[in-house]
Amino acid sequence: MTNQTKSQFIAVASITSELSAVMVVAKEISLAAANAKAIAFRAGDKAKGFQPITDFINELAKETIELVTNINIYALVLYRLTVDEFQKTTAYNKFELAAKMAEGAAYAKSMQEPVDHARLSMQDCQRQFKRDVSQLLGQLEAVMHHARAARVIAANSRIEASQAGEYLQSLQAVAESVDKAAHTIHDNVQRCRIALSIYRNS
Amino acid sequence: MKMTKIYEGSHQWIMFGRDEGKPANIIDTNQYVVRTPNRCLLLDPGGAELFAPMMAAVLHHAPVDQITDLFASHQDPDVISSLGLWDQALTNAKLHAPAIWEGFLRHYSCESIEYVPISDNGGTIKLESVELQIIPAHYLHSPGNFHVYDPQAKILMTGDVGAAFEAPDAPVFVDNFAAHVEKMRHWHQRMMPSNQAKRVWIERVRNLDIDILAPQHGRMFKGDDVKRFLDWFDALQVGIAV
Ligand SMILES: [Fe+2]
Ligand SMILES: [Fe+2]
Repeated sequence: MTNQTKSQFIAVASITSELSAVMVVAKEISLAAANAKAIAFRAGDKAKGFQPITDFINELAKETIELVTNINIYALVLYRLTVDEFQKTTAYNKFELAAKMAEGAAYAKSMQEPVDHARLSMQDCQRQFKRDVSQLLGQLEAVMHHARAARVIAANSRIEASQAGEYLQSLQAVAESVDKAAHTIHDNVQRCRIALSIYRNS
Repeated sequence: MKMTKIYEGSHQWIMFGRDEGKPANIIDTNQYVVRTPNRCLLLDPGGAELFAPMMAAVLHHAPVDQITDLFASHQDPDVISSLGLWDQALTNAKLHAPAIWEGFLRHYSCESIEYVPISDNGGTIKLESVELQIIPAHYLHSPGNFHVYDPQAKILMTGDVGAAFEAPDAPVFVDNFAAHVEKMRHWHQRMMPSNQAKRVWIERVRNLDIDILAPQHGRMFKGDDVKRFLDWFDALQVGIAV
């Protein structure tokens, strides 16, 4: 296996592991939102500005979970494609070697067709992989976007929390945890994107 | 890869082996090819490492599109781990292999090649006007194992039965049976699990008219050495590791 193939396998495998961490964090956000809703409800008028924010956080968490679920399915397709590409590349190299070794053989020329065919299907695989990576990068971008939005909301939540009197601390804690989670998601997804970006369609 | 024609009549048998480019840490194997005017059958085509030299060697005898049939005596990697590569090289081929190994052998990838499952009692492979018999050899050594007999060429291809391990430049035929025995003894005692299976197989094979007994490793047996081998094997206790 060449280093290029190895790192491709690793890049694809790392998406799945980074994303499973994102999933955990997104679920945490959704929990934080439920918490915040309960607190805001108890705080009544004092947390009036906070209530729509909790709905928004919840919505954001749900969308992130959905996105990540889709990306995971995509990552599996990408993994299969990597296996496929590896097999096709191996075949192409062996066919070329066979053709070279067969030089001078009565039927050496008949190897040309399998060689050409293997080259084409290997290149097909490579193109498909690049295409799929580009699409996946787009989906990851959407998750990043959600994470950025969550951080903005967290900042707003802090402001709203400051007007919530005795509920200030608990609402601030909610804002804190949303911010932290969004940060983690951002970092993980960023790592995925860096790992994949070298395979992007140029 | 050394090529030796072992039968020439209405069709040909060619033995391939003693590959000098083979990595030292993989087992040396013999591959056999049955060539009819327009078709070509590869018996135990070999491991993935061997694919390129084997393909190159076959191209001395047949073009790629006339390689129409493969046969795997059993599921071992030295027999058929090249399947995934043949699968991508051949567009119109069949693999004749034990039915019980189908789900296993497909792990090597068998998509364009048609898997023709051989049921436990054997069968035939028809190659133009040549009809080869598939002889059951279960538990010798694999639980699902077959040999191929050509009644016209009087050749019996015996897979791992009759195997021996020797120097890369060893002759292809046994020339001193007494000396050869020591190269086979431990292999047969250790690799063949069942005395009963061995007895049944010997009985079956004694009824065949055999000029050449052709194993997957080591040297072939010719003429009187075929009977010598069967007698020696008959008397050998196998399945010694328990
Ligand atoms: Fe074996
Ligand atoms: Fe073997």
